[in-house]
Amino acid sequence: MITLFRIIKSAFQHFFRNIWLSLTTVSVLVLTFLILDILLVLNLATNAAISNVESRVDISASFKVGTVTEDVQSAAAYLRSLVEVKEVSIVTPDEALESFKTKHADNPTILASLDEVGGNPFGYQLVIQANSVDNYPTILEALDHPSFRDKIEEKDFSDHELLLNRLSEISYKARLFGSIIFGIFLLIAVIIILNTVRVATFVHREEIAIMRLVGATGWFIRAPYLVEAIIFTLLALIISAAIIIPVSIALDPLFASYFETPAQLKNLFVYQSPIVFGLEFAAMATVCLVSTAVAMRKYLRV
Amino acid sequence: MIRLKNVSKIYPPNLAALQNVSLHIKPGELVSIVGQSGTGKTTLAKLLFAEEQPTQGEVIIGGWDISKIKATEVPYLRRQLGVVFQDYKLLPQKTVFENVAFALESVGINGRRIKENVSQVLKIVNLADCAHRYPRQLSGGEQQRVAIARSLIHKPKIIVADEPTGNLDTINTHEIVNLLKKINEFGTTVVLVTHNRDIVNHLRRRVITLSDGQIISDEEEGRYRL
Repeated sequence: MITLFRIIKSAFQHFFRNIWLSLTTVSVLVLTFLILDILLVLNLATNAAISNVESRVDISASFKVGTVTEDVQSAAAYLRSLVEVKEVSIVTPDEALESFKTKHADNPTILASLDEVGGNPFGYQLVIQANSVDNYPTILEALDHPSFRDKIEEKDFSDHELLLNRLSEISYKARLFGSIIFGIFLLIAVIIILNTVRVATFVHREEIAIMRLVGATGWFIRAPYLVEAIIFTLLALIISAAIIIPVSIALDPLFASYFETPAQLKNLFVYQSPIVFGLEFAAMATVCLVSTAVAMRKYLRV
Repeated sequence: MIRLKNVSKIYPPNLAALQNVSLHIKPGELVSIVGQSGTGKTTLAKLLFAEEQPTQGEVIIGGWDISKIKATEVPYLRRQLGVVFQDYKLLPQKTVFENVAFALESVGINGRRIKENVSQVLKIVNLADCAHRYPRQLSGGEQQRVAIARSLIHKPKIIVADEPTGNLDTINTHEIVNLLKKINEFGTTVVLVTHNRDIVNHLRRRVITLSDGQIISDEEEGRYRL
């Protein structure tokens, strides 16, 4: 207990008595945390942009005129039960007609053709949205279900198939590229931390050697530096959180309106802050502790 | 107490710092190890506090066999020795009190006892008033006295002083030597590594002379003869 207290006290003494070195180390760690946070925002933006485009894509299945409501509802219920399906909405023949009229209100020729046909030429329609663009082929197969296959007159997916395939490819590449960039910056961050900690340890190399020469055990020498590494990380996390939280609150409305999504930045850095900052702290503290231990090992061999 | 038997130390690729050195130092002796620069004096001192291992031979100090000592046992050996260096080797970010107390803190001794012992030792080296100063705020002589206080804090049976006066002026040199003599009078074995002729001649104690890594003379009440 006495030893633990001495180790913690010694760590704080190191921190304050080498205040410039401590501040330099903390500022590098703050920048690293901010880089991580910016990467998270970029990842969020990429996903929001992709989801935004994907949410605009749907397929519609037009039922033959005269198909009864129960059949359409049963088909909708079947589709809703699929995990690939996000949403199914039913468009009644009247709504379809109204929509057609609104769409072509400025084209009297088309509107006149409706009179030629007489009555409502539209049947029920199902508008189906998938959870991901990759799911549309599966949904299309589901529309071939024997119980309602013959009642469907037309599926408009084939018109968009090329576009959807392309979109799926772009989404995949954007996410892959985002992950690669994230990985590269994470690696840079780790290298920065490793070198910062190495420099901080290098500055103390003579002290470490002296402690060893006067009979201190490796653990008693190492422990205050490890505790100090945790103090650096914790302080850097607090400073970076104090920067990123207000910024995310301020930018959230802009982000939400630009990507037409609910409050994602605020959700990430405010509502999920214990998880986000907890994981960041755990990762950074681990890197700092390991690099301190490795850097010290060299100077402890006296 | 200290016994070296046919000890050689060869640094790579083939630099022989010590060659076939044998000696025996009895408890309570004050022994000067002298020789010109590069004759192996410091290597010999380093063997005594296990900073180096012999390439060949046996080094026994206070019951420890340095040639066989494990890395984990080295701190325990060093707690039974006091070591004083030419460049003081004080912890720059710790006060005088903290420098002396550090060795006791590392073995988990309680704060009250540390305070008592450190105050006592600082009085012996006449630095009681400097307890809260940092090493950079002290003169060279004062820093060396802090280093001696630190070496005494464990009440060691042996003190190894490697050129303790090398960076000091004449007045401070005599102060340090008198301090080491006083420590020896209390019964502590003192091994003084030096190339200072005046000190050796002033002490009139046992003198071991090294040349080219070998002992060329070992005299009771010896003088500096190089």
